[in-house]
Amino acid sequence: MKSFEQPVCGAQALVDSLAKAGTEVLFGYPGGAVLDVFDKLPGAPFRFVLGRHEQGCVHMADGYARATGKPGVALVTSGPGATNTVTGLATANMDGVPLVCITGQVPISQIGTDAFQEADTIGITRAVSKHNFLVQNADEIPETVAEAFYIATHGKPGPVVIDVPKNVQKQLTKAQYPERVSLRAYHPESTATGAQMARLAKMINEAERPVIYAGGGVIASGASKDVAAIARKAGIPVATTLMGLGSFPETEPLALGIAGMHGSAAANRAIDNADFILALGVRFNDRVTGKLAKYAKRAKIVHVDCDPASLSKNVRVAMGVTADVKDVLTTVNSRVRKNEHPAWLAQIAAWRKEHPMAWKPMHPGVIMPQQVIEAIDRATGGDALLVTDVGQHQMWCAQFFRHKHSRHFLSSGGMGTMGFGIPAAIGAAIGKPDHKVVAVCGDGGAQMTFEELVVAVEHKIPVTFVVVNNGCLGMVRQWQEMFYRKNYADSILTVKGRCGNERLDEDLAYDYLPDFVKLAEAHGAKAMRVIDPAKLEPALAKAVRHPGPVLVEVIVEPRANVFPMQPGDTPVEGMIFQ
Amino acid sequence: MNETLHRLNCFVENKPGVLARIVGLISGRGYNIQTLSVGPTEDGTVSRMKIDVLGTDRVIEQIVLQLRNQVNVIEVTVRHAAKRG
Ligand SMILES: Cc1ncc(C[n+]2csc(CCOP(=O)(O)OP(=O)(O)O)c2C)c(N)n1
Ligand SMILES: [Mg+2]
Repeated sequence: MKSFEQPVCGAQALVDSLAKAGTEVLFGYPGGAVLDVFDKLPGAPFRFVLGRHEQGCVHMADGYARATGKPGVALVTSGPGATNTVTGLATANMDGVPLVCITGQVPISQIGTDAFQEADTIGITRAVSKHNFLVQNADEIPETVAEAFYIATHGKPGPVVIDVPKNVQKQLTKAQYPERVSLRAYHPESTATGAQMARLAKMINEAERPVIYAGGGVIASGASKDVAAIARKAGIPVATTLMGLGSFPETEPLALGIAGMHGSAAANRAIDNADFILALGVRFNDRVTGKLAKYAKRAKIVHVDCDPASLSKNVRVAMGVTADVKDVLTTVNSRVRKNEHPAWLAQIAAWRKEHPMAWKPMHPGVIMPQQVIEAIDRATGGDALLVTDVGQHQMWCAQFFRHKHSRHFLSSGGMGTMGFGIPAAIGAAIGKPDHKVVAVCGDGGAQMTFEELVVAVEHKIPVTFVVVNNGCLGMVRQWQEMFYRKNYADSILTVKGRCGNERLDEDLAYDYLPDFVKLAEAHGAKAMRVIDPAKLEPALAKAVRHPGPVLVEVIVEPRANVFPMQPGDTPVEGMIFQ
Repeated sequence: MNETLHRLNCFVENKPGVLARIVGLISGRGYNIQTLSVGPTEDGTVSRMKIDVLGTDRVIEQIVLQLRNQVNVIEVTVRHAAKRG
């Protein structure tokens, strides 16, 4: 530690350390226990974005991280500020998103006394973060920040919380930011053995009905091009998880699309009939496997993931490889033989033809929700960063947008957090100012974090927010229809609380709550409502060209359901198509 | 699947919060810790935890992998503990 520098207060050391760690944008919200840090922000070399709720701040940091691959950074106060971050942290933790979240804390002398705005942030965030730190002394700040960024971005990425008591922010320190981080007990890097690589190459070369099954880990490892190289060379079709969308271009003939509960027939049947599955950066979550005992039972599975704890967690595999996906693929590529598998690909083509991803209009003159997603795809040339909320519209975004690029589909997969869409889209747009960002939300989820719209207005961020308004908590309504005797208990959001709108005409808009156009306008954004199918495409084309934030409320068929569906705990034969 | 008693031997960094993290990881899955002892090692910066927990081999294997993933955990070994009446 150099000691010739002038001492600075802990708050300044924190701001300097965040800058040293490469912070470009800090998302946050002030309060008593972090005012010392806020006091130092005006001189900081990074941008500060004031969210309007701490959950929103963390989702913004999350969207920024998912879009850019760089860690997102958030700063909130103690007590309620810290507890408001829990949902955001859990969302990032489940999906392996690198975040560093700084929380203020009451002075050390008051910890444990039920002081004003005291919460046991370390205890509360332990279960929803990858790691957390309570800083005891200002001298620890630079090193702790460096370690937090290291932990957030190495191994399986995740959120790290740093709890900084107020008295520590005021203490003087001369501690310097470390040049490198070395953690005694945390060494997540792991590589495949030569024997594993040889065995993998042999299995790929000998497979007759191979499938590559790509997840979020492919995107995290930057391995999309390597997946495509092997798939093309060895003629292997590629299915993706929700988190893996965009890791393989769906415009390629080898693309099977998404697998799982709302996956394509081609993807689910290919996995069911495969004799070999190369699973890359996936977790085999229950939404994907259906009935576990029957899942991929004809296949030898090789599972590659950087997280040893996710190997054979859910399915038994022939070989588990703890390693970086990109490393494995680049190494194995030279040993993979050119192949075409014509019979297998013909079989898959037949499945695709039998059950394409498709939708049918239900009532003339009423916009179908799937149509909205296809229209967004066309209006943006398929190149938009598509950020979703959670529900039916999320699944339609997965199914009806042709995903082409990695880090272009941002969605709360593992946690399924309603309210993610609006703030995450703003964070993504801040991280990727040259890209068109479109947020697709349901009318339910949009209400959970709508307040963040003002952030887009304040910073003139040209996100297109599309509210797919079906007047209900559509995904809940669908489950009630299918599995709860059509007992639509409390899933309807319209004024009259009714579900089946028999007549859909101009009056209809007045039965909906809230009026999203007025709401968006009250937040300072431009807004429009679309009811007529003929006006959908022109409205979207206009919206995506608008230089500022704009909200498009689209009134859609309320009874549309997400199909295909392989209900939980059923095998692939149990897929329902309508 | 039979639940049997397993003895987890964990060597961890001697830092605040490590015990809570490890106990939370086990108890958060609904598994009951039968015995727990924590003590120093010759190296004062390393603590040793002995944890006896009932579970199927598969669940224990998963717990061990997750323990090893923890930032402050240096090493974990596991063996079947003697059956208790
Ligand atoms: C925070 C949170 N609460 C509850 C749920 C359960 N849930 C999943 S989808 C859904 C309905 C979402 O409705 P909406 O936002 O209108 O989207 P839609 O399904 O209609 O497209 C609900 C309540 C959730 N995922 N997240
Ligand atoms: Mg809805």
